[in-house]
Amino acid sequence: MGVVRRRSGGFVLKVNPILCDGYGHCHELAPELVNVDEWGYPIIKTAITPLSDLATLESARYAVRGCPRQALRVERLSDDPGPTRR
Amino acid sequence: MMTALTSPYLWYTTRATGMVALVLFTLVVTLGTFVANRVGGSIVGRFELNELHRSVSMVAVVFLALHVITTVVDSFVATGWISIIVPFTSSYKRLAVAIGAIAFDLILAVWVSSLLKVRIKNASWRFIHWFSWLAFASALAHGFLTGTDGHHGAGLALVAACALVVALAAIWRYVGRPTRAAGRTALSPLVAAPLPERPARPSRRLAPPDAPRPVPSARGGARPSAPAPRDSPSTASSPFPRSPFKTPKPGGRR
Repeated sequence: MGVVRRRSGGFVLKVNPILCDGYGHCHELAPELVNVDEWGYPIIKTAITPLSDLATLESARYAVRGCPRQALRVERLSDDPGPTRR
Repeated sequence: MMTALTSPYLWYTTRATGMVALVLFTLVVTLGTFVANRVGGSIVGRFELNELHRSVSMVAVVFLALHVITTVVDSFVATGWISIIVPFTSSYKRLAVAIGAIAFDLILAVWVSSLLKVRIKNASWRFIHWFSWLAFASALAHGFLTGTDGHHGAGLALVAACALVVALAAIWRYVGRPTRAAGRTALSPLVAAPLPERPARPSRRLAPPDAPRPVPSARGGARPSAPAPRDSPSTASSPFPRSPFKTPKPGGRR
């Protein structure tokens, strides 16, 4: 907690399709990351967004918080391997 | 121990906050049905109704706390601290206060489970959340049976109006409940967007995992009545077709 890391790497928004009930709140809160299919279920951008894109990260967090089914999460992916990985 | 603290204003506060809490919980239950039945999307956002539901419930809990605390502190009616939680322990209007205690317990369960929503299973949260209907019914019965204001005049009219609103909301919650294909129910703004004439769904053949997902991006051009693309900075660079929702992004709400 409280460790400020270098903003390298990126994130993707992930949905748990079993929990999702197609409320569509994620699309309203993060339209740059989430599109909806014709049944109202999300199609999430699979490309990695850099963590330096703070506005997109913030709307991803709004989407995670606003999901009525708690089906979303922000998954961080670091492009630099950590000290334990060679 | 508070003893013999009495004032007419405490008693008035009890009655007033009880009425306000009843109205607020009516609003909370109705907004909850809006969220569950997928209202919104064009004029008001669905997420906005959800946020309103969450926020108004917090205000309602504050008024409920005021209602309960002023009742106990006021010695005009003999109601002890234990009667807040345990039913049938009050010497003043035993049945009415007992139903109020039951309503309070249920509201407490719903409130705490919602605060812990990220920590508990969603199925558990939903199960507990169904009890908000019972909590509202108990609160209504409590308001009517206690009857200082609920038996006549404007107070009775208010209780009856709250009962009517929530009864209609309950009926509509059942009748208008979303199907599994929630996006194309009559409540969805997506109905307004016509489906393109396409022979079939995209084939379900297994694609290599690195291949791009079958995003229905070809539809934007295939839709004859599609509106002219308004170039906004968020959609211009987006790989997705224009959304049927009116989105307030970017800026504004932040």
